[in-house]
Amino acid sequence: MTALAAPSRPPRPSPLARALLSDWFVLWLSVLLFVGLLPVLPTLGTPANLANLLSNAWPLLVVALGQTFVMTIGGIDLSQGAVIGLTSTLGAALAATAADPDVLSKAPIWGVLIGEQGGILAGQVAAAILATLIAAALVGLVNGALVAWLDMPPFMVTLVSLITVGAFAIWLTQSENIRNLPDAYIRLGQGEIVSIYIGPKDEPQIPRRQVHDLVTWAAVIAVSAAVLLHLLLERTAFGRQVVAVGANRRAAEIAGVPVRRVIVLVFVLSALCAALGAVLYSARLEAGRPTLGEGTFLLDVIGATVIGGTSLFGGKGKVLWTVFGVLFFVLLGNTLNLMNLSTFHIDMVKGGVILLAALLDVGRTRLQRRLG
Amino acid sequence: MSRDALLDIVVRNGAVLVLLLIVLAFGVLTPGFLVPESLGNVVKQASFIGIAAVGMVFVLLTAGIDLSVGSVMYLAPLVAGLLMREAGVDVGVALLACVATGAALGAVNALLIVGLRVIPFIVTLATLFVFRGFGTWLSQSQAVDFPDAVRGFGLGAVLGVPLPILVFALVALLAHVVLRHTAFGRQVTAFGNDPLAARKAGLPVRRIEAAVYVISGASAALAGFVLIAQIGRLDAGFGEGREFDVIAAAVLGGASLFGGVGGAGSAVLGALIIQTVKAGLVFSGVNLYLQPLLQGGVILLAVFLDGLRQSRLRLLRRRVIRPRA
Amino acid sequence: MTPLLRFESLGKDWFGVPALRDLTLDVPEGAVLGVIGENGAGKSTLMNMIGGVTPPSQGRMLWRGEPYAPLSAADAKARGIAFIHQELNLFTNLSVAENLFLDAFPRRRGLLRPLIDRRAMREAARAVLGRLNLDLSPEREVGTLSPGERQLVEIARALHRDAALLILDEPTTSLTPRETERLFAALDGLRAEGRTVIYISHILGDVRRLASRVAVLRDGRLVGEGAVEEFDVPRMIRTMIGRDLAQVYPTRSAPPRAAPVLEVAHLSAPGTVEDVSLTVREGEILGLFGLMGSGRSELARLLMGLDPASRGEVRLGGRPLLGGPRARVRQGLAFVTENRREEGLMMDASIRDNLTLPALERFRRGLALDREALADTAQALREAVRLKAQDLGRQPVRALSGGNQQKVVIGKWLPTAPRLLILDEPTRGVDVGARSEIYAICDRLAADGAGLLVISSELDELMGLCDRILVMSRGEVVAAFDREEFEERRIVAAAFRQAEDAAPGAAA
Repeated sequence: MTALAAPSRPPRPSPLARALLSDWFVLWLSVLLFVGLLPVLPTLGTPANLANLLSNAWPLLVVALGQTFVMTIGGIDLSQGAVIGLTSTLGAALAATAADPDVLSKAPIWGVLIGEQGGILAGQVAAAILATLIAAALVGLVNGALVAWLDMPPFMVTLVSLITVGAFAIWLTQSENIRNLPDAYIRLGQGEIVSIYIGPKDEPQIPRRQVHDLVTWAAVIAVSAAVLLHLLLERTAFGRQVVAVGANRRAAEIAGVPVRRVIVLVFVLSALCAALGAVLYSARLEAGRPTLGEGTFLLDVIGATVIGGTSLFGGKGKVLWTVFGVLFFVLLGNTLNLMNLSTFHIDMVKGGVILLAALLDVGRTRLQRRLG
Repeated sequence: MSRDALLDIVVRNGAVLVLLLIVLAFGVLTPGFLVPESLGNVVKQASFIGIAAVGMVFVLLTAGIDLSVGSVMYLAPLVAGLLMREAGVDVGVALLACVATGAALGAVNALLIVGLRVIPFIVTLATLFVFRGFGTWLSQSQAVDFPDAVRGFGLGAVLGVPLPILVFALVALLAHVVLRHTAFGRQVTAFGNDPLAARKAGLPVRRIEAAVYVISGASAALAGFVLIAQIGRLDAGFGEGREFDVIAAAVLGGASLFGGVGGAGSAVLGALIIQTVKAGLVFSGVNLYLQPLLQGGVILLAVFLDGLRQSRLRLLRRRVIRPRA
Repeated sequence: MTPLLRFESLGKDWFGVPALRDLTLDVPEGAVLGVIGENGAGKSTLMNMIGGVTPPSQGRMLWRGEPYAPLSAADAKARGIAFIHQELNLFTNLSVAENLFLDAFPRRRGLLRPLIDRRAMREAARAVLGRLNLDLSPEREVGTLSPGERQLVEIARALHRDAALLILDEPTTSLTPRETERLFAALDGLRAEGRTVIYISHILGDVRRLASRVAVLRDGRLVGEGAVEEFDVPRMIRTMIGRDLAQVYPTRSAPPRAAPVLEVAHLSAPGTVEDVSLTVREGEILGLFGLMGSGRSELARLLMGLDPASRGEVRLGGRPLLGGPRARVRQGLAFVTENRREEGLMMDASIRDNLTLPALERFRRGLALDREALADTAQALREAVRLKAQDLGRQPVRALSGGNQQKVVIGKWLPTAPRLLILDEPTRGVDVGARSEIYAICDRLAADGAGLLVISSELDELMGLCDRILVMSRGEVVAAFDREEFEERRIVAAAFRQAEDAAPGAAA
């Protein structure tokens, strides 16, 4: 009989350990990175650059929030990239105010969703976005169902979705982009609510006024999403159940948690976040692109989420962590860009960072266990 | 025959059945597809994925995964190509260098997976980007032309059998012998079945796990070389996304994502299936952009069947305390 | 003659709690030593020490007179010890021959050295299998063999390694009578060859048949030892039990009521449970006793909806109990599993999160959770189960002692006011103080009208706590005892299927 008595008092955590496990670790990392590189890259601190940085961060944040939920249940959603492409295309197609038949007449959606006068919901931005959210939810539903009922590994299921949904999006438009988006749509990605003007105050007619958008619609959307999802994860029964499923699926099942339903909903949520991110991205690009979200985008989303602190093993995830993770990743990309490294170098560094993030994850988990 | 037994047969021989079905389907829908010439072409094109799939089977046998093969397919031949261009080495040496580079890249994966115990999925996802990034830096994003001697090698034939098919056959045969008739091969298969028991049985588990990634890297490198040898030119985007085809081929051919199942035959069958589907779709004039969709469907089916097989296995493994006398 | 294996004052502690104490015993060469004892008596600990899986805390072992201190399973193997566990370590996707030779394949000659010599392997395998009278083709995939055949292959593996000592742990659990006979014939053969065998089993009759010597463990100590002729089954049982009760059981606050809360009729699942029928009344604590592998936990899983049943009906409060765990929890069922780490707790989550998990949905206030109510409930539960913990919101459950962890597992069900609570080994790994507190919780639940089904391997626990005790063996209910009929010897005998005085208690 192995009767376990109480373990002795846990060792006091060293300052380094405390720092590593702190919620604000990645924020400090970002600050360090910023402060450290500022003398070398003075343009890093200019308002123009900061505004640019932020505008990159918002869409990434929205998507990463969805990924956070999936990782918290111990899974991963690789299909977000494809969902972005699909919803970008659909949304643009539905809402476009005009279309060029020379470009799109061969596409399957011609005549069905979009014609010379624009999409069937031309100008109705809200309705178009709603339609794309529904499409995204369907993808998430299929992903979740396969994982929950057929016990298929999430990475494989979402990998297949990534390929098929991506291919579907490309097929819909025969790989063409969709332009002529209504103004309201574009404003979502670019429109400013609060902007500051930098330049000599009393100089009339400056050829190029420097306008920096600090608070844009994109920012509002992203921040609201973050707040909402934070509340969802921390303050609702569903959120607690998500954490439980990730922490110990069997124990959750026995405790009466609707495990399968939770899994499906999480994947649906992830797809919805991808769709929302797509809206912000396409608005910035002023076009709907089926290939949006391809390439290293996946790297950014996963990297940002993992380095923020959400564990790949499941059971641990916080919106705040992802916010910092996104900040760090966007800052990293920004600094690498400013250093004039080629995209490929940047990808290499990002790949290395992902590895580091994974190592950090393993390290943090072990540390936590030892300190109890 | 009981329903159980029938299900068993389907699950065990799924791959062959699928291949037959697909060939039949295309043969019926698009006459002219079943001519020896076009079928021969299919086999030739399948060799490329097939060679890499053989290495992937080794990795899958240990319940691991290697997402970096697409980048290895690019980087390793790139090194060989640069050597040929700058140092004037001949084809044979270049080929060796290519395979050696692939093995070295695989060793990097192995180090991170076995040494630092980071899960294979994340490691190979990261190296997918790192290797490609390194490659594009090496090549400055320029295409690299291979000397004519290489094309001669790539387009050549021995006894009427095109070289790619020959290499594929050789690699598959070698893998088959290793997996079935060497201690290492049997131990790899055992490891995937039950890693804990393998450790208890005293098998060199770390070495086994590391070796399969080296093999995967080497075979991906070889596959890349064989294909580029036919084209004569290595573009900067070569191999992008191919890892998925390779994994799909292995799983379609019967290897399991969960480990312990699969052999050289899986790679052969799977590569043939994938290529037949692709060629068939092109031949029947299906919309270019619809093809990946259908391919995805086929792969989903394969993964689904794999999951089914795994749940049956789990059921059978459950402890029995009232045996049927 | 020097004994093959000698233990001198051998002992093992787990975190300061002794699992084995002061064991001094000789295992003579060529003997078949039957080791018997109840669950938790220390048998596995002893075997794990011999097998090199865990080192002793006190005392030492001697192998043929020389000090023996293996650092790993490989060391033990190298000495010539073959440990055949209950969970077989065979690879189902390899052939019999390959399993036998997995770390030492016979090779071909010369240039073909890397290749396995299949013919030689086949012949060697056939030879080894022949020694056990196993008429199997060495080429057969182990996955296609019956459990009995696999067991024998595992033994063949030990034989082939020329093991001097074979340790078998409950080898006949999954065997048919015919396979068991084959096993015994094989063991007789081994004995004739002069090998030494340690045989651990609950089936006392088998031990009598096979063994030359018997060792009885109880509570981590050796309490009986000698030639098998000196031990008839009654003496075996007597020596195994008969401890002085140091536990404090609450006097029951309220008698069981008349209405049934759980009715099970002819429940069966092939391979595990056969035709089980039982009733639990409101306010009743029903105990389920049996040896390891008797089907109790399997029954619990069937009741909880975790595994499918093939036949039979279950009713809770008169209504049929159907569906998966979630539906059953909704109807009023609760399950405390036997391994809290894997199935009962989220180890890295806070105590509060664990305590409030099953009842989460009841704390809804609009869309959000009522956090204050959650915290209050957690506090209330802390008092209800006398949990020794500081910060419920921050401390991870991992940091608690086993007893307190178990209290969390049980406590989390209290807010759901279950009608039937199934507890599987509720005090395993729990210290004495926490145990009596857990018993008190059980009593209170019963007094409030819930039914309890307590599965335990500790008979005095069940005798102290329960109103009735059912005994299971090999997936069937074999005996039932009312409280007035509780007699340790008879209950244990029933579990060992030794019905000395027949006539089990009233209908279950």
